[in-house]
Amino acid sequence: MPGRAYPYCVSLAPVQEEVTATGGDVAPDTPWITIVWNDPVNLMSYVTWVLQNHFGYSRKKSEKLMMDVHTQGRAVVANGTREAMEADTEALHGYGLWATFQKDE
Amino acid sequence: MARGFRRKGSGRQARYVAQLDPLERATVAGLMDQVRELLDPPAPVPEGGDAFASIVAGLGMGVTVAAEDQSDLDPDDAGRDPALARLLPTANRQDDEVAAEFRRLTETGLRQRKAAALETSADLLRGEDKIRLDAGQSRAVLAALTDVRLVLGERMGLRTDEDVQVLEAAAQDLDPDDPLAYALAVYDFLTWLQETLASAMLDG
Repeated sequence: MPGRAYPYCVSLAPVQEEVTATGGDVAPDTPWITIVWNDPVNLMSYVTWVLQNHFGYSRKKSEKLMMDVHTQGRAVVANGTREAMEADTEALHGYGLWATFQKDE
Repeated sequence: MARGFRRKGSGRQARYVAQLDPLERATVAGLMDQVRELLDPPAPVPEGGDAFASIVAGLGMGVTVAAEDQSDLDPDDAGRDPALARLLPTANRQDDEVAAEFRRLTETGLRQRKAAALETSADLLRGEDKIRLDAGQSRAVLAALTDVRLVLGERMGLRTDEDVQVLEAAAQDLDPDDPLAYALAVYDFLTWLQETLASAMLDG
């Protein structure tokens, strides 16, 4: 909950008169997601390995996600802040997976 | 006769060992070079320029993934070679601006990392028939094999799982000297090689 002030905390700092809003668009944090899409080239064993190694998921969870990609065409493999999802997507592109990130809507 | 990757030892000491003959090694290394060229192109040349002409098969064997050797390139939205677009895909399908910003921030680094893995892997393959990889090298080779297969797959028109089945079926009627039949044979070899490495690493 960024920007929230606690004016009554004990503090030696000068008392602030009032904390003004920090911006107009402080909508609640929308979770973002990273998606991996099915493609005809990447091997099931390789996709499992990537998910296990990049995310630290268990073998079982990695295989489940891989099968979701394979059978349903896509799977959400992570969620979190936009920055984290961008970092995941970049890493997955490095591995050659077909990954995208977006708002979780 | 090639022998796929097998794991020797475990943990930090794990090594991944395969045996390829000189022709197999040269074929795979040559394709890795071509994909690296694709990722790290020279400055654009004027229309009709011939600067890419030297990047042809190089192997004298008819498999080339270089852009100028493709007769029917279908550029993506950004006017890119579709194989390059497959290596560096659009990261956000809902918002072009977000996708463009991501590309601006990540593309140079991704190109460099991919090129480095391809170079490392090609150098390793140009060593000896017995290939022995440590943990870092095995990750580089695994990623490099992926990028080569992605580009070769795109060149052969593999965009869906069905495409693969259609091509495999059609290949049975192709003359063995047909470039597509040869490309598919190389692709299948790469698939087999990568499968042995991925499986060995997954178990390690």
